[in-house]
Amino acid sequence: MATRDPVMTHWSRMFLLFLVLVPLTSSSPSSWATMHNNNWAVLVCTSRFWFNYRHMANTLSLYRTVKRLGIPDERIILMLADDMACNARNNYPAQVFNNENHQLNLYGDNVEVDYRGYEVTVENFLRVLTGRHDPAVPRSKRLLSDEGSHILLYMTGHGGDEFLKFQDSEELQSHDLADAVRQMKEKSRFKELLIMVDTCQAATLFSQLQSPGVLAIGSSMKGENSYSHHLDSNIGVSVVDRFTFYTLAFFEKLNMYSNASLRSLFNSYNPSLLMSTAYYRMDLYQRPSSEVPVTSFFGSVMKTVHTDAAYTGVSMPSEMEGSLFIEDGEHHRIMLENEPNQENLGNEEAKEVHCPYHAWLKTLQGRLDDTVADILLRYGFGTMILLLAISSWLSS
Amino acid sequence: MAAEAGDGKPQPGRRPRSRLIVRLGALLVAHSVLVSVVCCIAGSIAFLLLPVLAKNTYVSENALMPGSANPMFSSHDVVEANRFLKEILDRGSAKVTGTEIAKLIGQHVVDVGAELYYHKFHPHGNQFHPLHFFSSITNTMEMQYNSSCTLFGLNSVGIIRAPRGDGKEAIVLVTPYNSQNIGQSEALSLGLAFSIFSLLSRVTWLAKDIVWLAADSRYGEYTAVDSWLKDYHNPLFLSNSGKIGTGVCFEENILHLLDQLKVKGPGYNIFKRAGTMAAALVFKVIEKKEKEERDSLTIYAEASNGQMPNLDLINIVHYLAVHRQGLRVKIGSMHSLLKAAWLKFVGEMLQLFGKLTKHLNPKWKFDITSAEYVEGTATLASSIYYQALGVPTGSHGAFRDYQVDAITLELSPRFSLNNENNRSAFLLRGGRLIEGVIRSVNNLLEKFHQSFFLYFLTAPHKFVSVGVYMIPFALLLAPLPIVSAALFSGNDNLGVSTEKVNQEPGCIGSSDTELRSGSWKWLQAAKVVFMIHLWAIIVSLLPYVLSQFPLTTPITLLLVWAALSICILLIFYLIFGACSTHCGWELLKSVMIAAASTGLSLMSVINFSTAQIGAMLIVPMCLLVQPLRKQMQAGVCRKAVLVICNLTIAVVGFPPVALLIAKGVCEDFGKAGVGAFWELAQLLWSWNSATYLYLLWIHLPCWVLCLHILLYPCIGRSSKA
Repeated sequence: MATRDPVMTHWSRMFLLFLVLVPLTSSSPSSWATMHNNNWAVLVCTSRFWFNYRHMANTLSLYRTVKRLGIPDERIILMLADDMACNARNNYPAQVFNNENHQLNLYGDNVEVDYRGYEVTVENFLRVLTGRHDPAVPRSKRLLSDEGSHILLYMTGHGGDEFLKFQDSEELQSHDLADAVRQMKEKSRFKELLIMVDTCQAATLFSQLQSPGVLAIGSSMKGENSYSHHLDSNIGVSVVDRFTFYTLAFFEKLNMYSNASLRSLFNSYNPSLLMSTAYYRMDLYQRPSSEVPVTSFFGSVMKTVHTDAAYTGVSMPSEMEGSLFIEDGEHHRIMLENEPNQENLGNEEAKEVHCPYHAWLKTLQGRLDDTVADILLRYGFGTMILLLAISSWLSS
Repeated sequence: MAAEAGDGKPQPGRRPRSRLIVRLGALLVAHSVLVSVVCCIAGSIAFLLLPVLAKNTYVSENALMPGSANPMFSSHDVVEANRFLKEILDRGSAKVTGTEIAKLIGQHVVDVGAELYYHKFHPHGNQFHPLHFFSSITNTMEMQYNSSCTLFGLNSVGIIRAPRGDGKEAIVLVTPYNSQNIGQSEALSLGLAFSIFSLLSRVTWLAKDIVWLAADSRYGEYTAVDSWLKDYHNPLFLSNSGKIGTGVCFEENILHLLDQLKVKGPGYNIFKRAGTMAAALVFKVIEKKEKEERDSLTIYAEASNGQMPNLDLINIVHYLAVHRQGLRVKIGSMHSLLKAAWLKFVGEMLQLFGKLTKHLNPKWKFDITSAEYVEGTATLASSIYYQALGVPTGSHGAFRDYQVDAITLELSPRFSLNNENNRSAFLLRGGRLIEGVIRSVNNLLEKFHQSFFLYFLTAPHKFVSVGVYMIPFALLLAPLPIVSAALFSGNDNLGVSTEKVNQEPGCIGSSDTELRSGSWKWLQAAKVVFMIHLWAIIVSLLPYVLSQFPLTTPITLLLVWAALSICILLIFYLIFGACSTHCGWELLKSVMIAAASTGLSLMSVINFSTAQIGAMLIVPMCLLVQPLRKQMQAGVCRKAVLVICNLTIAVVGFPPVALLIAKGVCEDFGKAGVGAFWELAQLLWSWNSATYLYLLWIHLPCWVLCLHILLYPCIGRSSKA
């Protein structure tokens, strides 16, 4: 990456920069951190085995809901610890249902599972959150969020006091989760994070969280169990958990334009129906829940804002540049959110249109100081002689 | 260190303090009589309390989920079962050969699209193989070589491959039928099995293969199932088939059979397999004479050497039978105990006690009604008896030898099976039950391992786990080492310092010179005990020699066995008798008790029930035994009690008498004859029962030694025992 590129690549790169007309900002990064500009979802089903069918159905239902509300597949990391659809015991091969009426096949054509089977481990989960991947891990398996991201983290499985079981062999402890969130905060990987957990004693998993901007919802308090909602007697297993079932029931009434607040989601949980007490941890979250629409986590904004980080010098890796074009194409997507400083952003863009020219000159100057200057000088001289010859020929 | 510190005041009387555990041990040994009385009484009470301490069963394995799926077995399948039943009865009435029904089964199995093959086996006789205990795996081919060619059975086996399964595991269904004389109930069980099999060939949820074994039970159902299992688990490769020499007749028979069984499809004489067995269900329909208000299901679970299938298997069958199909579930119980007055009395006492404790603290749950207690005890007694016998209660026992969990389900209808409607309703219930059990086992991901393997049942839904039933046994066994140590140390003190007061004065008069031979004189006693045990081992091997001679009647065999044993014992006495009286009876008793307690502990690992029953007989015998001459020196009243106790226990402790009593309590005294002992012994060794080893290696020598001590010449030498 750090090797010196041929000159012509630099030139072409600069021209490309001109073409896309992306403003280079001079404002401080802190102003960007306050801005919500994209949404991510990490959906995790941690348990294996046929009798845990409902956990996979829970996760797939959530997956379907966030997709319906506008988060695209490339921004959803879906982790499924087992493949119920292809289990030999499944009465409906290649289909997964979350209701005994079998109206909705959750495992249709458009499901992209990022981590499946034995890939769903505590290690991989923490790597996804903190972004410390092996270089070989493809982009589709990475959580590429930034300081303007709202992230929904949904987890379901078997849990206990301050732990969540992964794959019947390992555990994620509340300390691990809190540490990962802390790292994410340090690395500016999110602006706001909603953690939703459907396990037994889910509330205990949040006890160690300290990072600001984190909101947590759990299906049950300490010492309580989370129960399944109903049994599908054709498939022979429970197909959905109560907490997830009522969460889905809440979202079924919404579309991507609705303004239902988080408070209304919280209020929709009825302890007698859940057979457990839903738990919310709000103390790390600044905004009042009644003013925050649920779509700020479960839906998506597609506002593209280019941060300094993406343009630190021209020696940026070429793959990153590729992504710039895609994001540029999404410039004019409909925005789901009424962000307060949205207009300001437009003004700033208008003001800074002339900036790239300066930047170009500056870079050119920088190039001249470089060792490449030799070649540049040689070419320059050649051109000057050529120009001299032509002008003398023309004048004569 | 302490002596150095204490400068001016040496304490000559003070001994260094020994460790606490040593002092505790010494205390126990010093009060050995009290300890043994308390432990024995507590052990007996704890044993009687077992039905009270029984817990309700629960399905422990999450994956099983019994009854979570709707049964798919419908009236359509019942019609199919009925049709199959009619066909069998039509063929059966013809009674052409033994292969007619096999052919019919084969045809139907092929028609539903499953794989089929026939398994030919030869029955094997009850031979005594001294080295075959605990190793049941033998090759049937060797036996075929010995047996005649004309005797053979034919199992029909159908295999459904799970459409999307990995083919690594299988569930086995077994229906035994008598191919030469098939009755209506056997035909019905075949019909039921076939209808379930054809249903399973259509379902989409199979993860394990299904194997249906229609076992030809003309030489006994166990033989049929066992030889199939042996061939299943010991593949015979073509390379060594020649050297085993299966015989020309085998090939001829197969060819002959092929002509008889004109079934479509290839390879129906090739043995096919289907992965490890997750579970096996043996089921049959039995028409009972006494009518009940509901269709009933009897579960048999005991396999060889008291091994039980995993409790979860019984749990799911019980759950589905009771809560889904409304059947009455029964397990074996001792009917003679149900009417016993003393048991009823104990039950009422416990009921009273339960009420009292409830009055004291409502949280204590000891409440058990008298009737419940009596029923629980009768069931527990039968559970212990069949485990102790070490003989399987059905053909499911063959599976346990390969660590496969299996049970036998005996379905009995409420009304006569001739009525079409009743039969259909009965078939529907039975079919749904078995389908439910298969679906539940199909959900398993691993072998049964969650629930208990060591348990007694006191009711179909109540069990006593190993942690509870060990307590009475441990209490019974605890006094043995203590008394042994007490006797040993008492004798030691006697030898070393004669001025010390002996706790048990009396028969110490054997001449001092003999006693003063040092602390190694226990070796003399050990030699005697060892010789008796050696004798017992020879006695246990005698039947192998006897079976080589052409003696036929059990009575002659038994008499020859007994006579030979006594002869050998006398020879042993003549050779080694000189030293047997040198050592003093306390040491002899001490060593004998040590040997008995070691034997009992070992046996409790192999077959707990045998050890439990054995301990109840041996422990009082070992603890009470004293030379009769010594007892004569005591007071009149004590003398009478001691003598009577000793004699009773000595009689009851004799293994044949104990067996007779056990058999009499369980079945009937009338049937038992002299030859029955030989038959029983034959039964035990033909099933490789460790109980046989226990009886002859531990119980018999212990009894002989006790007799020896009873007749011990206290002063001076006298004739041998």
